[in-house]
Amino acid sequence: MKFDIIIIGGGLSGLTAGIALAEAGKDVALVSAGQSTLHFTGGTLDLLGCDEQGNYVQKPLEAIETLNSKHPYKKLENVSSLAGVAKKLLERAGIATTGNETSNHWRITPIGGLMPTWLSMEGMSTVEEPNQMPWRKVALVNIINYLDLPTKFLAAGLREKGVEVDVKTVTLPELKELRQSPTEMRSTNIAKVIENNDLIAKLADEVNGVASEGYDMVLLPAVLGVTNGDKSQQLLKLINAPATYVATLPPSVPGVRMQTLLRKRFNALGGTFFTGDQVVEGIFDGNTLKGVKTAKLEDTVLEADNFILATGSFVSRGLVADYNHVYEPALGVDVDDLGLDRKTWAKIDVTEAQPYMEMGVKTDSELHCLCNGAAVNNLYAAGSILNGHNSIKLLDGAGVDMLTALQVVNNIMK
Amino acid sequence: MTTQTQTQNVSVNNFEQCLKCSICTVYCPVSAVTPLYPGPKQAGPDGERYRLKNKEFFDEALKMCLNCKRCEVACPNDVHIGDIIQAARIKYSTHKPSLRDMMLANTDFVGTMASPFAPIANPILKLKPMKAVLHGVMKIDKHRTFPDYSSRKFESWFKKEAAPTQDQYSKHVSYFHGCYVNYNYPQLGKDFVKVMNAVGYGVHLLEKEKCCGVALIANGMPKQAKRQGKVNMNSMRKAIAQGHPILTTSSTCTFTMRDEYDHLLGIDNHDVRDSLSLATRFLFQLIEKGEIKLAFNEDYHKRVAYHSACHMERMGWVPYSTRMLRMIPGIDFVMLESQCCGISGTYGFKKENYERSQAIGKGLFDQIDEVNPDCVATDCETCKWQVEMSTGVPVMNPISIIAEALDVETTRKLNNLD
Repeated sequence: MKFDIIIIGGGLSGLTAGIALAEAGKDVALVSAGQSTLHFTGGTLDLLGCDEQGNYVQKPLEAIETLNSKHPYKKLENVSSLAGVAKKLLERAGIATTGNETSNHWRITPIGGLMPTWLSMEGMSTVEEPNQMPWRKVALVNIINYLDLPTKFLAAGLREKGVEVDVKTVTLPELKELRQSPTEMRSTNIAKVIENNDLIAKLADEVNGVASEGYDMVLLPAVLGVTNGDKSQQLLKLINAPATYVATLPPSVPGVRMQTLLRKRFNALGGTFFTGDQVVEGIFDGNTLKGVKTAKLEDTVLEADNFILATGSFVSRGLVADYNHVYEPALGVDVDDLGLDRKTWAKIDVTEAQPYMEMGVKTDSELHCLCNGAAVNNLYAAGSILNGHNSIKLLDGAGVDMLTALQVVNNIMK
Repeated sequence: MTTQTQTQNVSVNNFEQCLKCSICTVYCPVSAVTPLYPGPKQAGPDGERYRLKNKEFFDEALKMCLNCKRCEVACPNDVHIGDIIQAARIKYSTHKPSLRDMMLANTDFVGTMASPFAPIANPILKLKPMKAVLHGVMKIDKHRTFPDYSSRKFESWFKKEAAPTQDQYSKHVSYFHGCYVNYNYPQLGKDFVKVMNAVGYGVHLLEKEKCCGVALIANGMPKQAKRQGKVNMNSMRKAIAQGHPILTTSSTCTFTMRDEYDHLLGIDNHDVRDSLSLATRFLFQLIEKGEIKLAFNEDYHKRVAYHSACHMERMGWVPYSTRMLRMIPGIDFVMLESQCCGISGTYGFKKENYERSQAIGKGLFDQIDEVNPDCVATDCETCKWQVEMSTGVPVMNPISIIAEALDVETTRKLNNLD
């Protein structure tokens, strides 16, 4: 089966590249082995939250200048302009965001911390200054029996920052019914119950009932609007006090919504999506990738002029570690294991920066993958599969995913 | 040694690969509409840990699973969640199939009985009193209309009208038509013969064909499914020995025989599997290789919305059908968001499942209303019943659309047949 471009990986990076290429009129196919880690993200996208010394970053563009030369951002022609392109691409997919690349704002984590971030989906709770909380008194309103919002941590975190917090709970008969299966009282199932306008209005009444007066902000778990943002916005409008959402534990409704809207956009542009399939082999001719084989298509070879490898890191099986090696399982391209001995891949203290996080596939300056040391002239890598950065330490995951994808698109379109 | 330990340490249906990430729960169409179903994570890998310790932990609520496999498609770690649930039902369920379940599951038997009486059976099955009896006594929901039984089975038509001319072709395929084509909708089989003949392939039936067994598995009759499956595999082996690929026009039959026989029913299909394919996939591959060409009528126009049937999605073969359809110049193609229609074979016919079935499909029906197509295309026959009943929009198999748009005369010439 022949396409202009084949993208391996259906997460943030793969979909960003897929949408940008389809918008440019290309015939694009995307092969995705299961759903992506977007399902664990909290409705915000980070560009660079910390520098290499571990200090929080307010001006990401300036801090990017100080990163070491191995960082994937060093292979981007213009970080600032690509960041602007990324924001607009999200907007065209129906994902409205606040924030920009010149200055970070701060997101509230599910356990009550503050972290610098680049873009936040509409309705998510954020603050401009970490040391200056804009609220004196907050109502934290959870749904009864919903366990994936750790309210005690959240409240404690906010109180530490000098905010007065009242924890309240609400419910509806429809939500009580959902509780019949205790394991299924999950964010996305709640979102599917609170679908119609009547229920949203009733839920707003309940929230207004417990947080009637004297609150500068009402914080709610982000459990509304899987397929689009309308329902979640509607609830906020019906609440008397200013109200915003905090991210919950997975599955994250804003994360699923982002995935859904990006995939819809890709489909609407005529992209072909191979769902639940896995690339198992690359067919190379010298330094050119001719095609890929997948588990499900068996003898059908997927051919293209250019290929993008965006399968993510260890958690997404883009990289695999066995007892002795780290390798890239789809095409077998070169992996940078930092030359480390097996015993030093990880540090015992989980809160320390883990060396394996910086492992990834090797690329040349134009993000071509390497195979046995030589660049493959039509195979690019994008996103968290790239070596040279630790997204947990630097808080740069979404930025690397989107911006390297857009750079690869530019390199292909040249 | 270490490598061996790692590569061989794979649990049945990959269940130990579950990271507890909960992504599958987002895509379960059943738990989205009822809290009584424990959802794929709990019903699948989580519950399996308990069931392995004590069979008392088996929960009959697992019968609510549609076996749509959307949890498996979503799973980033290749855990065969749906298989774990189906295997648990086969192993632990003490629920005995009722007369209704047996009737719904035995598509062969009921079809054989109904076909000769089709002119009487069809109108009777539509009568309100009959529906009331079915609803009250048999627990088959009164909202459902049985698909019409054809008064002439596909096999009878084929033997009389098509078989005599098939040997004139130089290349040949065997056709597993399935119960639906045989008893309910022979037109799809006729369309298949028309397309295959136009590109130079003679069509043959298998020596013996039995229902693939998907409805038997779903209704708790795995032993009968296994007997039937063995008959099918043996017939297919004979066809393969003659050099015939075996083609189908049903995604579910294909999926069951390729991907469920071995590990759910214990039927050895390894020597048959590769030769068994869906017609759209077979045609697409031939076109790609340049071995056949298709020509379409210039005045053909249709707005077609494609619905990805669950098992088609699980096989990963949706793009074969959609790219075939997009080859037809007169088609205004719309891809529907992939989601379950809710019927799941015999599931939606049961009184206790009707409301749930319609709630599951609602999102799809709304999408179809919005797109307003001339027809919906899908590779599954039971999706066809459900979508037609619920939206009023006609539903066609891609092969029927290809047959309708095909310029047979030009196609035959392009393939050097005339």
